[in-house]
Amino acid sequence: MAKFISKRLVQMVILFAIFLTILFFLLEAQPGDLTQQYIGNPDIPPEEKARLAARLGLDQPLWGRYIQYMRNFFTGNLGNSLSQYPTPVSKLILTALPRTIVLFLSATLLAYYLGFVTGKVLAWKRGKATEYMLTLGGVGLYTVFYPWFALLMIWLFGFTLAEWIGFRIFPINKFIDVNDWTGAPYSTNEVFMWMIGIASVSLLVAGLITLYARRRLEFAPAIRVRNWSFLVAVIFPFVFFKLSPMEPYAWDILHHTMLPVITLTLVAFAGIMLLTRSSMLETLREDYILTARAKGLSEKVVRDRHAARNALLPVVTSLVLALAFVIGGGIITETVFSWPGIGLLLFQAVILEDIPLAMGTLSIIAVLALVGHLIADILYVYLDPRIRYQ
Amino acid sequence: MTERVDLEEPQVQGYQLPQAPGGGPVVQEPLWRIRLRLFRKALGRNWRLFARNKVGLIGLGIILAFALMAIIHPFLMDRVWDPGIYDPVQGYDAPRTELLVVETKDDVEDPTSQIDHATARLKTTPFVKVGDTVSIPSQPAPPSSKHWLGTDPLGRDILSQLMYSTRAAFALGAIAAIVTVFIATTVGSIAAFFGGWIDSFLMRFADLVLLVPLIPVLIVVASLFTLTLPLLGILIGLLSGFGGTAIVLKSQALSVSVKPFIDAARVAGGSNAHIIFRHIIPNVLPLSFLYMMFTVTEAIALEATLSFLGLMNVQMSWGIMIYVAHSQGYLLSGTSYWWLLFPAGLAVTLLAAAFFLAGRAMDEVVNPRLRRR
Amino acid sequence: MQTAESPVSTRPSRSANPPLLEVDDLTMEYETEKGSVSAVQDVSFTVRSGEALGLVGESGCGKTSVAMALLRLQADNAHFRHGEVRLNGEDLLALSEDEMRTHRWSDISMVFQGAMNAWNPVQRVGDQVKEAMDLHIKPRLTAADTRERMEEFFRLVGVDPKMLDRYPHEFSGGMRQRAIIAMALSCDPQLIIADEPTTALDVIVQDQILEQLKRIQHELGMAMIYISHDIAVIAEVTDTIGVMYAGRIVELGSTREVFQRPKHPYAYLLLNSAPSITGPRRKLAPLKGEPPNLLNPPTGCRFHPRCPFATDKCVTDSPPLEDVGGGHLVECWHWDQVPEITEMGVA
Repeated sequence: MAKFISKRLVQMVILFAIFLTILFFLLEAQPGDLTQQYIGNPDIPPEEKARLAARLGLDQPLWGRYIQYMRNFFTGNLGNSLSQYPTPVSKLILTALPRTIVLFLSATLLAYYLGFVTGKVLAWKRGKATEYMLTLGGVGLYTVFYPWFALLMIWLFGFTLAEWIGFRIFPINKFIDVNDWTGAPYSTNEVFMWMIGIASVSLLVAGLITLYARRRLEFAPAIRVRNWSFLVAVIFPFVFFKLSPMEPYAWDILHHTMLPVITLTLVAFAGIMLLTRSSMLETLREDYILTARAKGLSEKVVRDRHAARNALLPVVTSLVLALAFVIGGGIITETVFSWPGIGLLLFQAVILEDIPLAMGTLSIIAVLALVGHLIADILYVYLDPRIRYQ
Repeated sequence: MTERVDLEEPQVQGYQLPQAPGGGPVVQEPLWRIRLRLFRKALGRNWRLFARNKVGLIGLGIILAFALMAIIHPFLMDRVWDPGIYDPVQGYDAPRTELLVVETKDDVEDPTSQIDHATARLKTTPFVKVGDTVSIPSQPAPPSSKHWLGTDPLGRDILSQLMYSTRAAFALGAIAAIVTVFIATTVGSIAAFFGGWIDSFLMRFADLVLLVPLIPVLIVVASLFTLTLPLLGILIGLLSGFGGTAIVLKSQALSVSVKPFIDAARVAGGSNAHIIFRHIIPNVLPLSFLYMMFTVTEAIALEATLSFLGLMNVQMSWGIMIYVAHSQGYLLSGTSYWWLLFPAGLAVTLLAAAFFLAGRAMDEVVNPRLRRR
Repeated sequence: MQTAESPVSTRPSRSANPPLLEVDDLTMEYETEKGSVSAVQDVSFTVRSGEALGLVGESGCGKTSVAMALLRLQADNAHFRHGEVRLNGEDLLALSEDEMRTHRWSDISMVFQGAMNAWNPVQRVGDQVKEAMDLHIKPRLTAADTRERMEEFFRLVGVDPKMLDRYPHEFSGGMRQRAIIAMALSCDPQLIIADEPTTALDVIVQDQILEQLKRIQHELGMAMIYISHDIAVIAEVTDTIGVMYAGRIVELGSTREVFQRPKHPYAYLLLNSAPSITGPRRKLAPLKGEPPNLLNPPTGCRFHPRCPFATDKCVTDSPPLEDVGGGHLVECWHWDQVPEITEMGVA
């Protein structure tokens, strides 16, 4: 397994290098050079122009520029942002990256979990009416025009429901409500990183407990341990922040994150539910399902331990494709909700023609995609023993 | 009661082929007519299979409805509508709406932003009293008998815009689909036929293309180069064609290339090109057409997304419609301007969904494994 | 490969043993879009403990449907019209699903057709066998005892016990089949149903597995229902044989009797259609036509369209099941006209 992972890591690095190369040639294909961006901008001093020219190796021939470019990337020297001069690009990215990761991760995990469970149960019950409605609903969510859907969600939760109930369930956009933070002793980033930290540690502990339980206990009790430990892991951060002085700030951030996550999750969920359902239907035709029933196992055990476990495989394979969707969808979500993650950063960079920022952000997004792909591959190998011994 | 079959005697009477003068048989029917007949029969059978799936018919219906819209629009512009008012890009109209004043304030800056179109009330305005009815030119104007779907922030008729953009959507879809299918079929067939390192390389390349998320790349490309509709179509076609579709079509081509008739063609002396183009590709094409449908779905959604973000160099499309409304703040001020949001978004969703549904129904025709028993 | 004329199994008669499974007038139909398919009609037979019953017939004659019915694993669109399946006196068809589950595997187990795919590919083989044992064996065995027992059964069928820790894809086809048999035995069932257990295997492995089945059945004293379309195989393994056609049992009797003196024209033609290397040269009597469409089965006797002895009566009236001597049952109006097996050809 370790050999497999290291092999894939090397492949990922190579792919990233190829990606960067293509990006380089795209840049080169542009008329003019980067330094010309500065001519019109009075905020940027002329030393920066010279520094930029040196960093990009503009005095060198094509090959030299390419080497310089690659070296820059792999040493993390992404230059300074033009639109937010003199902040370095890497700093902007590092601030925005954890937020986007939270968005992607929570949306992906929620969508997969809910989608899988729903699809599994749906395939088992073959009622005509429910099936038709859910398939229609699923297809509807799956093909809906995403920016439009995001706006509709804002309208629904921000305006329509608010008119009925009298208050807004979710804020309509942005990361925080600036008014609530006047005079706060913490910065938004501080609070956010604390939130991530506590939640990650909590979930990690739950994960370790589950692994240990699987090793030592029988199947059924181990599942119980898993469910309880994760339940506690989810509740713990809430309790922690309720009791800490950061409470109102943490809640504000959490509150603003909810609607973007829900919107992204809903659309991703639809595709996974449909896929799980069709995967289950195919799996249910297999002989080993009949054997499992002949052995006298209960319907639930047959469905979960035999059918669902096998139906999971194509769904995990689809994770790779779903990633591209989640990343793209995440970017749109951030732009529509003005939620300050990597996606919004990329969008702003592009609008403001801040090329260093745009390039840096795009590369990070590519890295995210690659890492996600790697995780999906590892997961698949872990789940399907037939692939392991190749 | 069936007669006993006596196995010693030949069962089939001799069939005499008609002789041409000078010897040799004469075929009764010309080949092209036979082919046409078979084609029509296959078409009928496939249509029945397709029609079994109600959802596919719905999809097809929606596509036809949109096509109708696209066709009618130029006629409407020519004969029925006044271009000065109804032109989707250049038209202008600011119809007057009757509004009831419900509140006044002295220091109001922009009276029109306090209009609630849903209830036809004006919250504040200088110079009038509460209870007065004021006639104000509205821009954007809510739907009325003159403008069935209202007007946009620039005073243009929304219905006209909607119909006009249909053309763009179909054109884009067509370009993307054709390019995708062309590339993916060729790549897939070549990879399957030659195998070895060509196959490895092409598939690895496809993996790379699949890996990179489309939207951020397109966003950056749109900023570096001005993206027109045809250019976007070609780009989508390239990325899609070398990516996932190529992988799927390659496995289809592979399953075709191991069939005995390919060996027979080789033995009969067929060159590689002949085998690829006359045997493998025609058998891969049905699946290719299927993926064309899904490419159109993707292309429509992508163009709308990029237009919505303001990154496209296109005069009018559904995405642009929402962009215009959104960028001027009308969409986040409340739900009053619903006609600026619903028609365009619905159009994108419906057409994309229609191609998707039709594609799924076609899937059952093309892929017999999926057919309901 | 033995032919129809070689000696059938010389097994001690089990007719004195108490009946284990009694199937009475079992009738099952499948509801399809095109109508009702009469897949199993008025099927009756008895299996005594320690006895091996064979069910033979063409594909689609209903043998597998009967097997599924016995375990109540029938398809969703299958409906029991009437009949009883009594296991030790208890009607299985009247039980609730929960009650039936307790009987599955522990009283009746099954080896499916193409059982090579009967293994869950993502679970270890040992875990799958253990799953069944943990469910049915009361009081619950310790992990060590369970392991020991599984290893014993694996050795019994001729598979290395170490394979218990492997995944199904690491087994060869024959090994998988044998492991399935071991799993079928693991809960000490009173009856095993083997549905074409050797069809997908090559002849050598087929032979080995047949030998093992015979030996196991003899050693453990289990009852067995052996389903196959291969009459030669059935002849080797079974005590009693039931010939099925178009969902009905048309002949039922001891294997020796039915093989040497078949009384139903279908059985007769079936046995006669295989050429013999050792016997005298004779003209083959082929079976013409095809099995009937059970959506619209033929009127009267279902075999009449293909029967060389058919008369008008066969078209209108369905023949009753008659005892033609010593428990040998036949469903035919003209069984007395069916010649002895030693005659040549058909009149």
